[in-house]
Amino acid sequence: MNGIDPRLQAYLDGELRLDELPVELRDRAVSWDGLLDQIARSAPAGAPLGLDHRVMTEIRARSEPTNQVSQWFAWAIRPRAIRVSPLAGLAVAAALVLAVARPWAGGPATSVENPVAGQVYVQFLVEAGTAESVHLAGDFSDWQPTISLDDSDGDGIWSGRVPLEPGVHEYMFVIDGSEWVPDPNAAATRDDGFGRQNSLLAVSSVSGT
Amino acid sequence: MRAAQARQRTDAELVRSALDGSEEAYAELVRRYQDLLYRHAERMAGSPDEAEDIVQLAFIKSYRNLATCQNPDHVGAWMFRITANACKDHLKSRRSDGVTIDDVPGLAGETGDPERALARRDLRSRIDSALHRLPADQREAFVMKHVEGLSYQEMEELLGVSVPALKMRVHRAREDLQELLVEGMT
Repeated sequence: MNGIDPRLQAYLDGELRLDELPVELRDRAVSWDGLLDQIARSAPAGAPLGLDHRVMTEIRARSEPTNQVSQWFAWAIRPRAIRVSPLAGLAVAAALVLAVARPWAGGPATSVENPVAGQVYVQFLVEAGTAESVHLAGDFSDWQPTISLDDSDGDGIWSGRVPLEPGVHEYMFVIDGSEWVPDPNAAATRDDGFGRQNSLLAVSSVSGT
Repeated sequence: MRAAQARQRTDAELVRSALDGSEEAYAELVRRYQDLLYRHAERMAGSPDEAEDIVQLAFIKSYRNLATCQNPDHVGAWMFRITANACKDHLKSRRSDGVTIDDVPGLAGETGDPERALARRDLRSRIDSALHRLPADQREAFVMKHVEGLSYQEMEELLGVSVPALKMRVHRAREDLQELLVEGMT
């Protein structure tokens, strides 16, 4: 027996008022109101802080070439109108092959956990005195805030050393797991596409400095 | 409204701009609809983390397929349908986590009594468990009706399901919910 009186269903659908219900159904109607109120109030008020940022970052990461090889490839395959003579066309094709092939010489993809030759350790510092945790997220971590910064001496300065490939990187700090903030000391920033700024960092190779 | 305030761009204008390559326009759509979609996903999935994953994927899918949105004036409804389907797919792929229900304390009335507050918290937990044992179609209709406060007509527009069918789902959801909540009492 789990049926609900059709008149009570109509009340819960907003088709009848409480005083239109038979007296014997009114207590149950009030109980249902309480239950539905509990359910409605247990729902979150809205999306968690930074969801829009994470969505747009993910969209950009998925829609843009992420390394030099794919950038070259994307450039090479982009439709465009060009007029060249057959001989010039051969020269352009050869040049493209060389340009696409060269980045491969840089070696396999690297990870933060297993730094390889060619990477450079970069020290990140940010002041966040009241934070419980600070993480670093950037193109080098697929924008996942998985790199923990440390403030073991409790002075409010959070730091961490991260091995990075030479090149230009975008990053942000994530305070207490939810608040995404740019680096106030970054030399440059780039619009993230919806009103906020990613911090920019240029890493040059050790031999090149 | 203040005359100096910039006119808010319509959904259709934002869709057109996004299709022309404006990430900012799509970001505006994300900000416009993320609360609605997240609330629905959270109530459907029962977990904030899973809800965020679902909504993120739904927005990415919407972005990729934006050109197929046939009514850009109602892009929010289109995004909602994508999210609702993503929720149901997610539920299909997840096993039920088996919950027992003990009893149902008084549902109506609010007091400052700590024992009542504890009872309410306990009740909320059992309501969540019961809600997540409903079939996906019932839960979806129930959440839209009683959490998002939508009318049956609005639900019909969003889901493409007739009002009588939606009413039936909500009515069955209430009956199943009632049974789930009282089964521990007997």
